[in-house]
Amino acid sequence: MNWTETARSALDSLIERRTRSALTMLGILIGIAAVILTVGLGEGAQSRVSSAISALGTNMLIVTPGSVTTGAVRGGLGSSSTLTLADAQALGSKLNCPDIAEVAPVTQKSLVLTAGSANWTAPVAGTTPSYLAVRNRQVVAGQPFTQADVTTQAHTAIVGSEVAQNLFGSASPVGRTIDVSGVPFSIAGELNTAGSSASANQDNIVLIPITTAEDMFGQTGPYAQSVSTILLSASSPATMGAAYDEAQDLLLQLHQIRNPLQADFTITPQTSLLATASSITKTLTVLLAGIAAIALLVGGIGVMNIMLVSVTERVREIGLRKALGATPGVILRQFLIEATILGVAGGILGVGVGVLGALVLPHLVSQPISISVPAIVGSVLVAAIIGLAFGVYPASRAARLSPIDALRSE
Amino acid sequence: MITTGPPRVQGPADPLIELIDVSKTYKMGTMEVHALSDVDLAIHDGEYVAIVGQSGSGKSTLMHILGCLDVPTTGTYRLGGTDVSRMGEAELAEVRNRRIGFVFQQFHLLPRLSAWRNVELPLLYAGMRNRAERKKRADEALEAVGLANRTAHRPTELSGGQQQRVAIARALVTDPAIVLADEPTGNLASDQADEIMTIFESLHTQGRTVVIITHEPDIARRARRLIRLLDGRIVASEMAPVQ
Ligand SMILES: Nc1ncnc2c1ncn2[C@@H]1O[C@H](COP(=O)(O)OP(=O)(O)OP(=O)(O)O)[C@@H](O)[C@H]1O
Ligand SMILES: [Mg+2]
Repeated sequence: MNWTETARSALDSLIERRTRSALTMLGILIGIAAVILTVGLGEGAQSRVSSAISALGTNMLIVTPGSVTTGAVRGGLGSSSTLTLADAQALGSKLNCPDIAEVAPVTQKSLVLTAGSANWTAPVAGTTPSYLAVRNRQVVAGQPFTQADVTTQAHTAIVGSEVAQNLFGSASPVGRTIDVSGVPFSIAGELNTAGSSASANQDNIVLIPITTAEDMFGQTGPYAQSVSTILLSASSPATMGAAYDEAQDLLLQLHQIRNPLQADFTITPQTSLLATASSITKTLTVLLAGIAAIALLVGGIGVMNIMLVSVTERVREIGLRKALGATPGVILRQFLIEATILGVAGGILGVGVGVLGALVLPHLVSQPISISVPAIVGSVLVAAIIGLAFGVYPASRAARLSPIDALRSE
Repeated sequence: MITTGPPRVQGPADPLIELIDVSKTYKMGTMEVHALSDVDLAIHDGEYVAIVGQSGSGKSTLMHILGCLDVPTTGTYRLGGTDVSRMGEAELAEVRNRRIGFVFQQFHLLPRLSAWRNVELPLLYAGMRNRAERKKRADEALEAVGLANRTAHRPTELSGGQQQRVAIARALVTDPAIVLADEPTGNLASDQADEIMTIFESLHTQGRTVVIITHEPDIARRARRLIRLLDGRIVASEMAPVQ
């Protein structure tokens, strides 16, 4: 008996027991739909988190004073920083660090802002125009401050949307004046809205030229011109590693430290944040998918159960078919095909339900669910394999029946 | 696969069916049931044999071995010169399919299939791929047993005698040399039984080897040879007087 005839015969017998076949498929259907939805939910969450993090600045490296490797801040006195403007300048040299595209030193303090009768407290960051490129921010109204503003210690500021909102309401802040700790600044531009990241609210910020800030924050002595962080951007995601090494080597050299383990600074790639976040969502996805896989397993056991019932029920038919010349192989094949059809049909229907759910559910739970093609193809394959695997035992039982015993049974 | 020497060329005098010292023992826990003991039997091509004996004497057991549905515990069964007593399941299935037509007392038709779909089953297992040809062969077999106008009926829509005729058509559809029937009229009224016996006689006239198990002396008498079993042994094997 060839494959098409066997498949036909298998299909006939499934259709004959349509209610039971449908219920068996339902088990597989639920399992597959659950897998697709949970994997989609996990991937949706993952892409949401990673886009939120990459909004902080692509290819970014953050240099902070102190060392995490030794658990103690080295080289610093009091709250002063070991990073200086000179460091930032050196890092910005293409000669020293060919893979570093932009360098933005930042020195930051939380200060009181006043505009007319309104006041508001926000972090004031002294930095350079590169800040916008490194952090992947744009000025949506007005102008960014320029290198010339840095050189001349201009009293020019760029404000985040939350600052603008709190001081000027819905009116445009561009061209207005704010007092920062009593020093007047004219507002040159407003930043785009970035939302808050895991670390800070990106919209509650004021940017001013770093020279102006150094002057205002009034540091003197050996740590004059120190900065609180230096933000770097690599020329591309591929050169992150090289940029990291270049920055590390240069800073060690500048700080005259031989042993990298004793570094008085720490470089954190933005990607490590991303990796942490995505490893969390990945764990979640695996957990959910694991639960869905158990549902699928239960569905598979359902297939086995129904196939065993079917074999028991059809013992006489099997005996007769064998008496008429069906080999054990043909009988085995017929039952395996039946089980596989149950699996595949359940799987395809499950994909349908899963995809439908992925399209409809986000509107109800405001949680993105991505439709993962590998998950779909994988599910159907897994469903087929489950049908096959859980069909093996019942099918081999059928194939091993002796024709006489089978015919004699009631 | 175990083969016993080179296949012998079948001579006209060699029996088609040859049982040598065949025994069949069933183990029931610690007890052993000797369903057949040391049976020697030779049936030649074209013979018409009736097997009789009390209930439990081993008739069905013998028939199952003859029909390759079961294998002897000890002894040798040669079918057309080939030792089939040591064959594996798959090979036996092929022998059953090609060389033997089996008719059961309980008909054993598949209830959901129409008459012709029941009859075509052996052709499916014989690997005949062309559905139209299978249908043609099934129709011819049904016509040969007088059911040309019932090919699309399901077993439940047929009388007992008609069902048994479908079963006979199924046994004949592969054109086997041997037809075995285990009490084929046991479930039938006498007029229908007569029809069935007429068919078996015509099979014999066509030159097929026919072996029938029966309880009824009338039927046994119509065969050309009578084999009597008692407690798993052949106690008599006699040729009927030429009528
Ligand atoms: N599968 C089995 N397991 C155990 N014992 C069996 C089995 N099949 C048959 N027997 C025993 O073998 C003996 C012969 O049985 P068999 O069916 O051949 O008798 P029979 O002559 O066909 O009887 P009947 O005329 O009632 O059909 C009986 O004693 C029976 O109980
Ligand atoms: Mg019997």
